[in-house]
Amino acid sequence: MNSNPPESYDWKTWFQLYGPKLLLCARQWTRSLADAEDVVQEAFVRYWRHQRGLPGEPMALLVTSVRRAAFDLARRDGRRVAREERSHDSPEDGFALFQVPFEADERRTAIEGALQRIPPEQREVLVLKIWGELTFDQIATELGLSPNTAASRYRYALAALRQELTAADCHG
Amino acid sequence: MDDDLQDFEAELKALQPAPPSRELEARLERELAVPAKRRPLAPIRWIWSVALPAAAAIALMSTQGGRPPGFPGSAARAPGHHSAQAAAETSLKPVAAENVLVSTSDEGLVTLEDGTPARRERLQFVDTITWRNPRSHASLTWSVPREEVRVVPISFQ
Repeated sequence: MNSNPPESYDWKTWFQLYGPKLLLCARQWTRSLADAEDVVQEAFVRYWRHQRGLPGEPMALLVTSVRRAAFDLARRDGRRVAREERSHDSPEDGFALFQVPFEADERRTAIEGALQRIPPEQREVLVLKIWGELTFDQIATELGLSPNTAASRYRYALAALRQELTAADCHG
Repeated sequence: MDDDLQDFEAELKALQPAPPSRELEARLERELAVPAKRRPLAPIRWIWSVALPAAAAIALMSTQGGRPPGFPGSAARAPGHHSAQAAAETSLKPVAAENVLVSTSDEGLVTLEDGTPARRERLQFVDTITWRNPRSHASLTWSVPREEVRVVPISFQ
């Protein structure tokens, strides 16, 4: 986990630090990039105005806020079923999850495709751990799991993702 | 975890999530330029407008010997119609009261006047009171929806 940025930083500096990670997390729980940006906006404004002075890891607080905003949005719009039933065959709306140098773009596309094919409950833990930089304890609290379950889902997710990529390589 | 998996994990960690759009940053700029507004307290006042009449009605019924207002048994209290014993025999008595929690929603973090962070939860109940006439076994059940907002101070570890 990164150390907390100094209090004196303005919101733009904070957002540059946390915005990309939050957006990636939000995309696990929303149907489109537009929805994900909406929930990131709501969560970040709430954090900046009301929670910034609280003790604890900013990222954990922000992820909690993002997840709740995503669920509220799904409830409001009756989108929960659609979200849960959405296809995992391809990246949700064609927008890249990661930014990489041009020469690595093929690998990025393969990884993003493979991410969509692993079980959502594993992908959620993987994203929170690797790119959200949360600990297993924090992930467990966030998702209502035991830390052991979070850790085992993470290991399964890594193995499943690697297998998906290997299979994709084999099939050209 | 085997070495290959660790290498793969390192490869994933090296991937940088794509940044949010410029448009989102512009939206944040506009929103954060406006001073924060306190959350409206209207919903809490609305709850009292429901909860207090319900409580008053229950209190009124209890002072009427457990008869719901307007129920025919109320007439039995009129002097000269029946003896006190007859009135007791024909009246309904409260025999059960229960509060069933039907739904809860977490409304997120709020900041109290003194700056303390708190979590606001909205709970919806159905309060049900049952009266029974011990003589005829006739019964009356009255269900009242009730909403309650709890603001619980929290601390982050």
